Amino acid sequence: MGIARMNKIYLLAHQAEKDQILRVLQQAGVVEISDITEADEETAHWAELVEPDQAREDLQEIESEIAKVKFSLDYLNRYYPEKKGMLDELLAEKEVLTPEELAAQEAEWAQKSAEVYASLKKVDEELLTLRNAETRLQNATQQLLPWQNLTLPLEELRETKAVWVQLGTIPAAATEAFQVQMQQIDVPSFYELVSRERDDAYLVVGCHQDDVETVQEILKEFSFNRHNLNQFTGTIAGNLAECEQKAAELEKRRAEVLSVIEAQLEHRQTLQYFHDILSVRREQKLAVEKLVRTDTTFVLAGWLRAADVEALRQKLSAVSKTFALQVREPLPEENFPVVLENKKYFAPFEFVTKLYGMPHPYGIDPTPYFAPFFIIFFGLCLTDAGYGVVISLISALGLLKIKGESIRSLLKILLVGGISTAAAGWLIGSWFGVSLFGSPLLFDSMTNPMLFLAISFALGLLHIFWGMLIKFVSLWKAGDYFAALADVGFWFGLIVGLLLLALPQAAQAGKYIALLCAIGLVLTQGRHQPSLLKKFTSGLLSLYDITGYLSDLLSYSRLLALGLATGVISMAINTMGGLLKGHPIGFIIMVLFLIGGHIFNLLINALGSFIHSSRLQYIEFYNRFYEGGGRSFVPFRQKTRYLEIRSEK
Amino acid sequence: MLSTGLVYAIIGAAAAVLFAGIGSAIGVGVVGQAAAGVVAEDPDKFGSTLLLQALPGTQGIYGMLTGFLIIWRIGLIGGSVVDLTLQQGLAVLFAAMPIAFGGLLSAIMQGRAAASGVYMIAKRPEEVGKAIVYAVMVETYAVLALLMSIITLFYIPL
Repeated sequence: MGIARMNKIYLLAHQAEKDQILRVLQQAGVVEISDITEADEETAHWAELVEPDQAREDLQEIESEIAKVKFSLDYLNRYYPEKKGMLDELLAEKEVLTPEELAAQEAEWAQKSAEVYASLKKVDEELLTLRNAETRLQNATQQLLPWQNLTLPLEELRETKAVWVQLGTIPAAATEAFQVQMQQIDVPSFYELVSRERDDAYLVVGCHQDDVETVQEILKEFSFNRHNLNQFTGTIAGNLAECEQKAAELEKRRAEVLSVIEAQLEHRQTLQYFHDILSVRREQKLAVEKLVRTDTTFVLAGWLRAADVEALRQKLSAVSKTFALQVREPLPEENFPVVLENKKYFAPFEFVTKLYGMPHPYGIDPTPYFAPFFIIFFGLCLTDAGYGVVISLISALGLLKIKGESIRSLLKILLVGGISTAAAGWLIGSWFGVSLFGSPLLFDSMTNPMLFLAISFALGLLHIFWGMLIKFVSLWKAGDYFAALADVGFWFGLIVGLLLLALPQAAQAGKYIALLCAIGLVLTQGRHQPSLLKKFTSGLLSLYDITGYLSDLLSYSRLLALGLATGVISMAINTMGGLLKGHPIGFIIMVLFLIGGHIFNLLINALGSFIHSSRLQYIEFYNRFYEGGGRSFVPFRQKTRYLEIRSEK
Repeated sequence: MLSTGLVYAIIGAAAAVLFAGIGSAIGVGVVGQAAAGVVAEDPDKFGSTLLLQALPGTQGIYGMLTGFLIIWRIGLIGGSVVDLTLQQGLAVLFAAMPIAFGGLLSAIMQGRAAASGVYMIAKRPEEVGKAIVYAVMVETYAVLALLMSIITLFYIPL
């Protein structure tokens, strides 16, 4: 138990069987493939016989296929989003297929996918054309609208040999001045004010070709802005009506095109499955990039649990007669990927372990050691029997319905945590902040918080000693008896001695124990220093670490603080709710307020309890013995969302 | 007629809610800004960023519960108003100070730590646990402040 024993494997087989073998490895999902394209010490003596394998072309082909499927899926989602809440996502079950079933389906899926892609691509192009046409229509309408009072057909408003005519705008504010100017000039001319819109006045101005310069002079003065409507013929009203009609046609066409998208919706699931298949295949091709090859063979290196070796060998034998599998234990000090292995009841707590990171491959898996404390701390941080029952019920319900592995771990922790919370709440007699069943079983945390604090410190001390014991045992087992005694034993003695000082009967004994251990620490803690003086000073300085133990211990007071926080907030919610209860409508509001308030309190404090219980492990407990820095094991496996491919159902 | 002592006690209750609340508002706001930026790129990170955003919110709650504890102990709600002496009133006021200022500053700093955590999970979503641990390190001081405030409040003779 703890950190799994790992083996390194080298697999040599024929190129012809490569795809088949990779498929088997991926379905088994137990091997982490190491990249051996760069030679290391172990492979150096045959490195020149081989070259990096590659699957670039296949990879490109798959990538482009994936891009197409993704385009189709995104397109469908854009117009018809999948209405899936978080709950649906959690409850979703993957469809299970055997490799044979898959082979039978695949060609059909590929063809369907290609069809959907083609039709959606066409739709996309058509929508783009439609959008451009719509924009053009809108522009034309915008251009024509200010002129809609003009009743003449536009072709009659064009320049002739004798008459100069222009349409355009001048600033609306200058209209009066313009009119005055136009009346004053002595050349025959006309103008018509068609409309005023916002800051512009829309005009038609005309004169004899011979007088153009005089009129233009004035126009220039009023910063006349020429409008060109030459592309239109007929009346403005006619043109506008035409635009409207065309827009309606476009809208109709658009609806038709959208219905084509809707018709493709039935293939969404097929596309999702196909996307999964392609991703699985892409992983296979990416794995190839980590292999080395000769003309006819390939070599694969990787890690797997020693326990899985035989099963893998059998699976490989089923598909290949000619492969060589070399298996070895890790070399001394070799860094292997870490897999945590724990008994069934501890396994869910690996979730908490992994949140922090993997332990060192040659370190200790802390999971089973902290699990009981985690549960107790969680319960004490919440301390409300009602909340505990609610959490347990919801987690139990979730466990019945939800299949996702890591969510299940979390739910299992919460289930036990909820029971622990209920127990803690029961002992101090708090049900949703109220003492439902008379006086508390043990004590009331509100009237006697110091007792709660003492319990927190006692648990903290136990937790810290437990961590020291683990360190002691691991050093002892490793044969480092001296370190076990000096680094752990003396500290233990010193702390116990200091604690005994508080008891009058044992104070004398405590004094001597503490003193003895302190001397022991001064003499031993500097033993790695080179010179005698440094040995002594760093030994002496090591006593300062007592502050570390002290602050770690004080940190457990958070159990009281969070426990009280839950209680006081419940009390606040109940009191505020209670203010409303006299009136019938008030009563309804009170009920809603109580439910909402307690849900809020439960959520925020359950989050806090989980995080702080974890923290007490990561900082206070890990400090005693834990060595981190492990790399987690990432097996070569099928990463899918909708589909699972398994040999047996 | 309110006694001066009672007025001081109410100032204490107000200060606890006010300052810790300001701190949390700033802290939660800072994380929210960072989170919105990250979620714009990747909407799937909503859950984990929301978790980080909730962390600096607790100080405001601690302030609220200290304030509630004060008005409960001086009998403003659920009882008859205690006639506090000036000394008692000042004692209650100062008992509220740890969570008022501890909450104010720790919430702001925790907000910053959590906002950096949000950037961290933008790059490495699998490391959300570590981002949370960093933010929770700050929370310790809010918890200690709260503890001091409420224990003092429990034991001030009124």
